[in-house]
Amino acid sequence: MYSLLHGFYKYLVQKDEYCVLILGLDNAGKTTYLEAAKMKLTKNYSAINPIKITTTVGLNIGRIEINGIRLNFWDLGGQTELQSLWDKYYAESHAVIYIVDSSDRDRIDESKETFDKVIASENLVGVPLLVLANKQDIPECMGVREVKPIFNKNAHLIGKRDCMVMPVSALTGEGVDEGIRWLVDCIKRNNFLRPPRNHEES
Amino acid sequence: MGMLFSYFRSLIGAREMRILILGLDGAGKTTILYRLQVGEVVTTIPTIGFNVEQVTYKNLKFQVWDLGGQTSIRPYWRCYYSNTDAIIYVVDSADKERMGISKDELFHMLREEELADAVLVVLANKQDIPGCMTLKETHQALGLETLKNRTFQIFKTSATKGEGLDMAMEWLSNTLKTRK
Repeated sequence: MYSLLHGFYKYLVQKDEYCVLILGLDNAGKTTYLEAAKMKLTKNYSAINPIKITTTVGLNIGRIEINGIRLNFWDLGGQTELQSLWDKYYAESHAVIYIVDSSDRDRIDESKETFDKVIASENLVGVPLLVLANKQDIPECMGVREVKPIFNKNAHLIGKRDCMVMPVSALTGEGVDEGIRWLVDCIKRNNFLRPPRNHEES
Repeated sequence: MGMLFSYFRSLIGAREMRILILGLDGAGKTTILYRLQVGEVVTTIPTIGFNVEQVTYKNLKFQVWDLGGQTSIRPYWRCYYSNTDAIIYVVDSADKERMGISKDELFHMLREEELADAVLVVLANKQDIPGCMTLKETHQALGLETLKNRTFQIFKTSATKGEGLDMAMEWLSNTLKTRK
């Protein structure tokens, strides 16, 4: 009887857990974005001062509860030599956030090529993609109108999965929660293809 | 007024962070501990038992435990696991042969329930030795990509030259500040 009640309680309390991978070139603002997301969506969270964020060589984790589900963010290092480690996470990801430095016109093509490599992976078929044109707080940056066509060029690679390009400023936090809310809807819709990760097993 | 009060409380009530320095014997753990504490290279002998020192970095106080790394005393590491905020795992980047052992010890340790919330810093130490493994090679040799539930970061260091430690401590203190 106890285990029945306990099980029922767990069923009520337990939240489905999904993993979101944050990718992008180095210095795109991935860690700053993750901090901004944690700050916006968790109560009483004291974020790291953005000035103090350094190059990631490793993994930063963020957990957010939103709309009845739990999101587990993986923020990986973006340097070229570390990009080969990204694919180790693909099979377990329920969504990918790809961050673009909109103020860096010199590297926009490189960013696009890297994005193509990511989405060409078999392990990400059907996984929702959110492309964020970051650093919108910088006056001369490219707007979403300029970034969108660049990243939508390869429609055949994107295929049928959900894909959205949105403007964001990780530094000011503008646009952060809109993107995540959009992603949550996609993840939920997509859960027949990628069912939630069971927390008990992990 | 409330702000002022909580500010003062944060000054007084700042808990000392507990950090363990672990790794195989000869990785440079003791050298790193004293590099952090006094900023100098001290002559060390193999640690049997432990060294513990208080290290202050940018207003944060750390209680740093350096545990002996020899095979026979590694089983005793677990006696020190409780209430640990962070683990600094030191690897000798020039010791390619024992990288596998280092990996096994690391994963053995991370399986412990008591360390589930601890932040991990891996130091690829002895970068001053020519022909040592690069950051990425060390990352792969240790199988760090399989760590999916823990915040971690890997740094290149040379404890004898004092390189890289500042960056590692900077990251560690920023990360620990968010989880007080």
